[in-house]
Amino acid sequence: MADGEANGMISGGAEGGGTVSAQAAEGALAYLTEMSPDLRGAAILDSAGAVLAATSEPSRWREDAAALLDVSDRAGEEPVRQVHVATEQGEVFALRHAGLTALVVSDRFALASLMFFDMRSVLRELAKKGDDPGDAA
Amino acid sequence: MPPKPHRILLDRVSAYADEAAAYVRRRRVSRRPFARLYYSEGRASDHAADSVAGGELFVAAGRLIEVAGRAGRESR
Repeated sequence: MADGEANGMISGGAEGGGTVSAQAAEGALAYLTEMSPDLRGAAILDSAGAVLAATSEPSRWREDAAALLDVSDRAGEEPVRQVHVATEQGEVFALRHAGLTALVVSDRFALASLMFFDMRSVLRELAKKGDDPGDAA
Repeated sequence: MPPKPHRILLDRVSAYADEAAAYVRRRRVSRRPFARLYYSEGRASDHAADSVAGGELFVAAGRLIEVAGRAGRESR
């Protein structure tokens, strides 16, 4: 964990994320889906918790993601950076980076480190695009 | 004096049974649900399913799994 994104992500504004277009987020989500064969569904949220891209039902993703992140933040003394919940039905991953949040639901026994690596690299690229107005269009 | 053939067979079967039992034990441990939160500077905390925070995390995660699962079924 490095690169200066220590403080509150989802509620704390887009630190370094700039404005990310829905189109760029859709592309990032497609890339993430392609890279992760275990993935069942995913969403990318902006700093306000709005869904930039989702594999289905954006409104449900927004509500349920907000609930998960809210519970996660309340569980500790500081905002969480990553969440990993493994249940019998599947696994849920959430990662905050540069004001953006990625959520993934995968099959059981997905490799957590790889999943987080993929999510982080996708958000990093997306945040870079947000910084560059030429790419964000 | 060499061991009787049926003794060799029994030993082998019980060795396989031990292996299988160990595999099942390992699998049961690895299948156990968990909720883990990661913070800055690499700190992590586990929350048991029977704790308040753990229970809420499992409920929230279950909802997301439901949304993703429903989407998966619809796309098939």
